[in-house]
Amino acid sequence: MQDTNHTDDRRDGSDGRKLTDTSRREFLKGLGVAAGGSFLQTDGLQVVDDPIGSYEYRDWEDLYREQWDWDSTARSTHSVNCTGSCSWEVYVRNGQIWREDQAADYPVFDEDSPNPNPRGCQKGACYSDYVNADQRVLHPLRRTGERGEGKWERISWDDALTEIAEEVIDAVQDEEYDAISAFTPIPAMSPVSYASGTRLTRLLGGVAHSFYDWYSDLPPGQPITWGTQTDNAESADWYHADYIIAWGSNINVTRIPDAKYFLDAAYNGTKRVGIFTDYSQTAIHCDDWLSPDAGSDPALALGMAQTIVSEELYDEAHLKEQTDMPLLVREDTGKFLRASEVDGLSVDADRSDHVFVMQDAEGNLRVAPGSLGMRDGQHDDSVSIELDFDPQLNVEESVSTTDGEVEVRSVWNNLRDELSNYTPETVGEITEVGSETYQEVAREFAQADRAKIIHGKGVNDWYHNDLGNRAIQLLVTLTGNLGRKGTGLDHYVGQEKIWTYEGWSKLNSPVPGRNVPTTLWTYYHCDVLDNADPETTQRVQEAIDNDWMPVYPEERADGSRPDPRLMFIWRGNYFNQAKGNVAVEEQLWPKLDLIVDINFRMDSSAMYSDIVLPTASHYEKHDLSMTDMHSYVHPFTPAVEPLGEAKTDWQIFRELAAKIQELAQQRDDVDPVPDREFDREIDLESVHDDYVRNWEDDEADALADDKAAAEYILEHSEETNPSNSDEQITFDDIDEQPQRVAAVGDHWTSDLVENEPYTPWQRYVQDKNPWPTFTGRQQYYIDHDWYLELGEELPTYKEPPTLQDRADYPLNYTTPHGRWSIHSTWRDSEKMLRLQRGEPVVHLNPDDMDDRGIEDGDTVRLYNDLGSIEVQAKRYPSGEPGTARMYFAWERFQFPDRGNFNSLVPLYMKPTQLIQYPEDTGEHLEFRPNYWGPTGVNSDVRVDVEPVADGSGDDSNGGSNE
Amino acid sequence: MSSHTDSSQTVDLAEGVNHQVAMVMDLNKCIGCQTCTIACKTNWTDSGGREYMYWNNVETKPGAGYPRDWEELGGGWDDEGEERTPGELPEQEDYGAPWDFNHEQIMYEGSDEPLRPMDDAADWAPNWDEDEGAGEYPNSYYFYLPRICNHCTHPSCVEACPRSALYKREEDGIVLVDQDRCRGYRYCVEGCPYKKVYYNAMKKKSEKCIFCYPRIEGEGPEGEVRGPACAEDCPPQLRMVGYLDDEQGPIHKLVNEYEVAVRLHPEFRTEPNVYYIPPFAPPKHTQDGESTDEERIPREYLEELFGPKVNDALDTINRERQRVRNGGESELMELLNSDRSEKYRLEVFDEA
Repeated sequence: MQDTNHTDDRRDGSDGRKLTDTSRREFLKGLGVAAGGSFLQTDGLQVVDDPIGSYEYRDWEDLYREQWDWDSTARSTHSVNCTGSCSWEVYVRNGQIWREDQAADYPVFDEDSPNPNPRGCQKGACYSDYVNADQRVLHPLRRTGERGEGKWERISWDDALTEIAEEVIDAVQDEEYDAISAFTPIPAMSPVSYASGTRLTRLLGGVAHSFYDWYSDLPPGQPITWGTQTDNAESADWYHADYIIAWGSNINVTRIPDAKYFLDAAYNGTKRVGIFTDYSQTAIHCDDWLSPDAGSDPALALGMAQTIVSEELYDEAHLKEQTDMPLLVREDTGKFLRASEVDGLSVDADRSDHVFVMQDAEGNLRVAPGSLGMRDGQHDDSVSIELDFDPQLNVEESVSTTDGEVEVRSVWNNLRDELSNYTPETVGEITEVGSETYQEVAREFAQADRAKIIHGKGVNDWYHNDLGNRAIQLLVTLTGNLGRKGTGLDHYVGQEKIWTYEGWSKLNSPVPGRNVPTTLWTYYHCDVLDNADPETTQRVQEAIDNDWMPVYPEERADGSRPDPRLMFIWRGNYFNQAKGNVAVEEQLWPKLDLIVDINFRMDSSAMYSDIVLPTASHYEKHDLSMTDMHSYVHPFTPAVEPLGEAKTDWQIFRELAAKIQELAQQRDDVDPVPDREFDREIDLESVHDDYVRNWEDDEADALADDKAAAEYILEHSEETNPSNSDEQITFDDIDEQPQRVAAVGDHWTSDLVENEPYTPWQRYVQDKNPWPTFTGRQQYYIDHDWYLELGEELPTYKEPPTLQDRADYPLNYTTPHGRWSIHSTWRDSEKMLRLQRGEPVVHLNPDDMDDRGIEDGDTVRLYNDLGSIEVQAKRYPSGEPGTARMYFAWERFQFPDRGNFNSLVPLYMKPTQLIQYPEDTGEHLEFRPNYWGPTGVNSDVRVDVEPVADGSGDDSNGGSNE
Repeated sequence: MSSHTDSSQTVDLAEGVNHQVAMVMDLNKCIGCQTCTIACKTNWTDSGGREYMYWNNVETKPGAGYPRDWEELGGGWDDEGEERTPGELPEQEDYGAPWDFNHEQIMYEGSDEPLRPMDDAADWAPNWDEDEGAGEYPNSYYFYLPRICNHCTHPSCVEACPRSALYKREEDGIVLVDQDRCRGYRYCVEGCPYKKVYYNAMKKKSEKCIFCYPRIEGEGPEGEVRGPACAEDCPPQLRMVGYLDDEQGPIHKLVNEYEVAVRLHPEFRTEPNVYYIPPFAPPKHTQDGESTDEERIPREYLEELFGPKVNDALDTINRERQRVRNGGESELMELLNSDRSEKYRLEVFDEA
């Protein structure tokens, strides 16, 4: 097509107007490109009388109308563990994914809160780019270079599955099935895909990895105090609160689809206080902002608690009935006084040594109803904690016991002693929050009718996160803000809540199987026990020896322990996201003979794997999606067929099972292997048949594809197929429109009330069921030996520890969740990078930049004793001085030396999170994947930063050289 | 509703325009997530020489914005609103380049380079100064400003075009660049003080926000009337879309009755039809970390952006918020939380 060098085009002429030579060249760059559109006739330009209102030549407007066109749509969502669980409409044009829009058709159930629609964010709005992207994995690939080098050969599915199947068969034959690791996070974001690999792993005797604890998303204070992994109100409940504290939860960045409930509350009379070290993207929309020093939040919370207690603003009835505050503690041992120890106290219980004691108004000792010794296990709703006497909070007594006279005090008095340390002066000094301000917030919080704390990763990444959790939880407990609409402590980090838990669980685990706490597994196999501090090492070893926490492969009879051997990674980016990244690469990775990554895109884990299998994108499969942010269930459905040679996760693991079965049957040496731990045999010759069999109904070949697996989950869950009703939510129903769950199973802490948002803890607070703790109450006092030894029996503030020297590394290093990615997904997205700076940046306070001669846009080196990374410096005046803040999850290949944001983060573990409690039976705290186990520590890391000298190559501040 | 015409007492529409589309954006709900930006991009500017364009952008204020320092490039009208004020053409680098990246080389070809914008071109971008703002910790301040074409009542871009290739639609006041008639002179780009007309070097034509007219007209295979993508897709639903002359709608009430929705840079005199609820923020801190009564965002800065009317607007909002917090009722507060069905009043003037 020829260009029209029209004489009217002044930019081609010589009128010499404002264009500089540079910009003219830029503008003219495109002119040589053949224009696709039609040009108006260049002669006979028609006259326009008045372009305002009476313009006549409007036929061209069809140009844009024709672009608003598509051939079909399909409903889907994204599986990225953002907690959003947003339903999208995916548009297909000419057989390809064109774009997506929020489906925006969640049914309204609560007329009083803002409309739930739409749900979504900018990242979800361009997932379509991944479907056809350069980074898409289209074929099975086998590594030809070093791990991470990005050199591959394309292999057939048959070759790939054969190679993997041989390795699996060898491992099982060698009785090293517990050296097969399967890492995939968060069932709720796509339970069928989750279960696909885990189901096979279970059948093989392999090991499923935890994730919620490993990612430090689990708030350990919740199992410690409330006996529950986490339970939250859905976000619509925020709007019903009169007072909200957003505590380290950067809602406006990390809960984009839910932020409206927080923002709209501004016009609904709600006061919103933000507690953030920086003037964060959520702080800007709060009514007050408190800015504690990094890691000092526990002291701030305890200071607020001290105000509430000393000014008697607490909810006494709640404390007496719902908490351990009236329980008596022995002064000599620090242990709870047990009913079995008290002379003459009659107890109607099998285990009176697990029964606790209170004092009534008359001064008589009384048994605390709901104690573990009176219950049949952790959850027992046949027992009530309702009181028929008035227990005293303030008790200091001498009691006649089997050990003679002992002094006892109530937990309340012990707590008051602890809190007395947190005077306004002390708290002001530790936190640098104004004493008047925080005390006023404490008073307002206590006096509000419905007060709520939204709690997030900003306060959960610390080494002492358990203490921090417990201190902040104390505020809602003291004020009785639990188990009612508009109250509570809502901790949102990780899409941990799968409403259809039962159905997923049955699909996932047809046979009993191994789980491992990933933090401990990683720590152990990175040989950290050989070089950590002696006390930590001793306690970790003790926890392993006591069988409080499992490590796989397990220790053999001869005392040896094999290395892990084979690892499957799917739906996650274990390698990139691993704390202790340097150790993982140098210690753990070489131990693995075969790493298989199953992925739609080439992320860092895929890059550092041996075989990469192409999986269906989120727009190419059937699955389900759920979250704790809302109470709907909605599906993934395929808008198009999987691109290239991709297959769904379900299909991939099914075909791997088929290959294993086929080869096992061909080989002479394969017989069923008795499982070392469970009463079953690992039978490779039937593994595919077992995989596709419906074990509930003993129906062969029932679970051949992902849609059947999704239907199976819906059918076997109380939430979607309630036992008291003939109605069932089917896959077709949710494809038509997202559906609110129909009921709530026993595994949650409240029932579902029609027309109201779900709010947790009602079964304890309103129905008076015992809390699933040792004492049957919200338990702030933990009399485990380790807690007593460490002075952590009650919430307390401890100086944050750090493995780096403060003098050498003066800056705190934090890696919060940011707006531009969900973990590492979208970190490499062109559309997203164009709205950032195209490369990793570190946010620095201008004073810290000036001190070091750093300017905005400079390339800097961020380093500590573990590693060093090159990034771009960004000026962030709202960041507190003394902090290097790097929004996390940049991929390794985004750094010049293939370092990583986690290269500066050690593997660090707090031993208090390894315990079993009670020590003998563990009903309150025992290892359960993603429920109780050590959290990974992301913060409490120190670094320094310096400019990278000129001439080192990457000059990203170079201006526009011609 | 067809009897409703342009002769309302309180609403000034451009002469010859029957109805005027309008938008109110509540800056107290903008979280800078850019879902609007992406929704617009995937609808309209993802290819064909438009890659660098953001018909909808969100910028951090105070900040240089997109294109860089657009507020200083002139355009618009003089104080009397009669003579056009000279405007400058932004330099191409002030928009930022739509970077391409080297995914393929790194992931599949064994390159040991980092993933980076190719041609080492990254030194400015549409959102380069995100979250930066002004002031010093702990009294820094910033907020987000989403921007589209204002579909002005007195559009200087239309006046600027010697070919009369820009026009304002009679039925809804949407301002468009006739893609057949345009020759890409860029007088409109110079003339728009908001720099919301963009030059497409591949097509040699200027293009701009079309207020998603195919969506509001109910085009598309499903024949459904939808609001502009930037509004419909906004997660906090901070935008209301309708007609300025729809006196029953929330926009009219917010703009003309309560006067809490104000224009951006009214001194440009183009009479924008996009209005903003101005931002409030937590108060300043003392050196001891105490919260004070002092406003964090300087009023002078807000006046610079929104003119003197911003003061009454903020005072009204603060007063009504306090009323609700004390247990009272406020129609204004309810309007600001309008239900979704009220947020998009696009069919009120449809002929029966």
